[in-house]
Amino acid sequence: MTHVLDTIPAAAPAGPPVARAARRPGAGLLLPLALLSPSLVFLALFTYWPVVEVLWDATHAVTRRGTRFVGLANFAALFADPTFQRALLNNALYALGTVVPSLVLALAFALALNGAGRVRAVMRAVFFLPVMIPLVAAAALFLFLFLPGIGLIDYHLARLGLPGANWLGDPDLALAAITVLTVWKNAGYYMLFILAGLQAIPDEAREAALLDGAGPWQRLRFVTLPGLRPTFAFVGVIALLNAVTQVDHVFVLTKGGPSDATKLLLFYIYEQAAERYDAGRAAAATVVTLGLLAVLTGLSLARGQGPEAAR
Amino acid sequence: MSAPSSGPVTREVTPSIARFVVAGLALVWAVPFWWMLVAAFRPAGSGADASLLPSLTPTLANFAEAWASADFPLYFLNSLVICAGILAVQLVTASLAGYVFARLEFPGRGFLFGLFLVQLMLVPVVLLVPNLKTIAALGLYDTLPGVMAPYCATAFGTFLMRQSFREVPRELEDAAMIDGAGWWARIRLIYLPLTKPALVAFSIVSVTSHWNEFLWPLMVINSPDRRPLTLGLASFTLSAEGMQAWGLIAAGTFLVSLPLLAAFLIFQRRFVNSFLASGIK
Amino acid sequence: MISWWKGAALALVAAAGLAAPRAALATDIELFFPVPVDGALARNMSGLIKEFNDSHPDIKATPVFTGSYDDTLLKTRAAIKAGKPPAAVIMSANFLTDLSIEREIAPMDDLIAKEGKTSEAFMGQFFPALLPNAVIDRKVYGVPFHNSTPLLYINADHFREAGLDPDTPPRNWAELYDAARKLTKREGDRTTRWGLMMPSNYDYGGWILEALTMSNGGQYYNRDYGGEVYYDTPTMLGALTFWSDLVHKAKVHPAGEQKGPAVTGAFLAGQASMMIISTGSLTFIRDTAKFPFKVAFVPMNVRQAVPIGGASLVQPTGLSPEKRAAGWTLIQWLTSAEKSGWWSRATGYFAPNKAAYDLAEMKAFLEKNPDAKIAVDQLANAQPWFATYRTVPVRKAIEDELQAVLSGKRQPKEALTAAQKAADALMRPYVEDTALRLPGAE
Repeated sequence: MTHVLDTIPAAAPAGPPVARAARRPGAGLLLPLALLSPSLVFLALFTYWPVVEVLWDATHAVTRRGTRFVGLANFAALFADPTFQRALLNNALYALGTVVPSLVLALAFALALNGAGRVRAVMRAVFFLPVMIPLVAAAALFLFLFLPGIGLIDYHLARLGLPGANWLGDPDLALAAITVLTVWKNAGYYMLFILAGLQAIPDEAREAALLDGAGPWQRLRFVTLPGLRPTFAFVGVIALLNAVTQVDHVFVLTKGGPSDATKLLLFYIYEQAAERYDAGRAAAATVVTLGLLAVLTGLSLARGQGPEAAR
Repeated sequence: MSAPSSGPVTREVTPSIARFVVAGLALVWAVPFWWMLVAAFRPAGSGADASLLPSLTPTLANFAEAWASADFPLYFLNSLVICAGILAVQLVTASLAGYVFARLEFPGRGFLFGLFLVQLMLVPVVLLVPNLKTIAALGLYDTLPGVMAPYCATAFGTFLMRQSFREVPRELEDAAMIDGAGWWARIRLIYLPLTKPALVAFSIVSVTSHWNEFLWPLMVINSPDRRPLTLGLASFTLSAEGMQAWGLIAAGTFLVSLPLLAAFLIFQRRFVNSFLASGIK
Repeated sequence: MISWWKGAALALVAAAGLAAPRAALATDIELFFPVPVDGALARNMSGLIKEFNDSHPDIKATPVFTGSYDDTLLKTRAAIKAGKPPAAVIMSANFLTDLSIEREIAPMDDLIAKEGKTSEAFMGQFFPALLPNAVIDRKVYGVPFHNSTPLLYINADHFREAGLDPDTPPRNWAELYDAARKLTKREGDRTTRWGLMMPSNYDYGGWILEALTMSNGGQYYNRDYGGEVYYDTPTMLGALTFWSDLVHKAKVHPAGEQKGPAVTGAFLAGQASMMIISTGSLTFIRDTAKFPFKVAFVPMNVRQAVPIGGASLVQPTGLSPEKRAAGWTLIQWLTSAEKSGWWSRATGYFAPNKAAYDLAEMKAFLEKNPDAKIAVDQLANAQPWFATYRTVPVRKAIEDELQAVLSGKRQPKEALTAAQKAADALMRPYVEDTALRLPGAE
């Protein structure tokens, strides 16, 4: 969950109307600008300036003989790089593999655990606990879970007479293993929002469905799921953003390997910048990633799920 | 964790078989934590590392060794300073900006608000390469303020405060204005006290996310005595892995996770409400 | 990018200069050190540095654990760029070429001269096999601290059980292949014991593959020029195919990438009967194994040859004269015969300082632990370690392909072609600036 919380727009139903604000005696421009200036200074330094910087870096090449403007050459090289193509594909698979199961599980958890009762409360807590530990700590635990042969999973598979696997060392499994860790870590977080979404569905709707003799599945399909649509739209965007911005476990568990199988966009950027000193390639990849994120958040705003809707 | 009460009708949405499945999944979900506890308290060399049966002779030796081989109290302090520092600045910047967007009318307000919202799209962690250069240019490389700086302005916090401030009755501010209270007095004496729940919610969300952060501190911090807990744990894990000391890793992970887990278990309702407020309020 | 860093560096240097007179009593220095292999190296290092500080009141050294070899390179470079270079770094011996090309580490010949020694005499203390990775263009860039070679470890109990003689471990690839087949145990389609395991993770896989290639008669890279690697060659094809066959044909080696700790863990748990890993893990294995084990030279195909591994002490450029001098004192102390010998016994790395083996405690130790002697004897076959411009990405280019081959995703030949292409692209800026920079071409 981490920083995304800082950056996610609220999926708010419309707030109070704003029109009345207009009648306040305006203090001119001075006061508002003065009060906004602390934020604007930081935004300028760490949000707007880096964009300028990244655009500059992305269109220049730093070679051993100096720096020169190269137009879109860095982007051409980026898209021609099989590792980057792999990172794009990996990230798409990872997004799909984390978002869909996380949301389905979160829905199942929320539906089963909505309501009072001690057992339910304990189970909700169990699903939520992974949210509260750092992703790095989760990775430290899963380091042993996934250890081939003597690790938690393989040890118990062997006791059942089943063959184990080299979970993080097999390029076909490594991304799936990372995905499982992410689902374990995040499903409880999304469950929380769905639980809240369930509260927002009016009881009358369900009662009406009951009176009509609708069974549990019909009520789920025709009453509950439609009622949860705004929640899903919002949680889906968080989950997608998380799939791009959270790569801590890749650092601890696989370093992008084996054979690039777990190379995600952000790790690719890190590697280009920190290990290969290719500022141009790193910047071009950053621009592409920012573009993807902007489209994602833009879509959610356009669909009226963001702060704009609450204005 | 307690969820808000709900009518008996909701319950019937799920057939009982689904509830059994979810109960089974809860067990699966608990396994990594259970293993962490069992392994952390198991004496070295007694039984398989992967066994899920608690040792009959539990020991604190793993904790003692983890404590001795990594400077966890210092990492803890660094994490605390980072989170507290970020939060303190954020509360100021967000409530000032929130007040402006909630209550002041001036030309270009919509534009400026849009400018703030841009931060929601330009996620700081994706900008880590250019931000690192800025941090170095400011002389903040390898310092705790360097970790904090990019988070000092918060579009999300501004948005949240703006929403809460607008729910404060205008008449209160008008009355204070008649009494001659300046803008700061009005924010401090009227708005902030009346929006405490939003402030608490924002604080919990902010602290949790920065407490758990890894990648940005990894870029900024080089000196071991400035590592936050997450960096300390990653480095500790690497050296313990070389010793095949899985019990030690479990103990270290437990130590690092404990503060937030404990805070959560004690203040469950408050945490839950805060996370919800971060999304749907 | 460079100018930003430089600005920051200048500011920090200026700040450090202003603050310097205050700390006239003891010079504070940092030593970056990695933990590349198994064992409690981090703890041993703290003890060693404490001993140094107690005997040198004018210097206060702080050991800084910086992760793996690769992480240590990243952290050192970051510290140099930020203008806060550590006074000494225990640096993977094959990174010195790259660091010297980028002028990020300083030659030490002037410091050696101040001691009244020639560089040749000073470096003469160390085993000759270590020099190509420490002396570049006739300048001394590093002082060998702990060194290793790959080594074959065998589980003696498993050997006897399989009807093999643990006193004559496999000497060549044919014997290794044969022994691995006899040692592998299966239950249905599940393998319960692997005949042989070798690590193939980043940092380790390239080194092991180099050992196999050299045992197959190969050179692996141009040891005189940092812009060439010989990935797409018959010697390398033979080596990679052999490893691939162990996995896919004989099925005596698990598929996929194997991390170093996982290999050691499997060996210690009796799930692997043989492994080829660093001599640096020897002490840890000896202290931990609950069964009799033996070590032997890496089996050969064409010739008996292994690359060296391990690390040298280096000094980054940009240090103040005081810190540089203090760092140099620490480097000399750490590489002395006594300390070198102590570290060798604590870890399993061999001591690069030849005089360490003349000391009484070392003789007694080798008497008691003949396995450590075998590790040292293998030095006679040691070759220099792969080192180029941008060593890490160039090495990862072959490691990514190695992992793909071990996972059955690629055939050895196409893997080597791809790795060669990737490596050439990575080294291209350097090659264009050196070997292909011709008169009249401007």
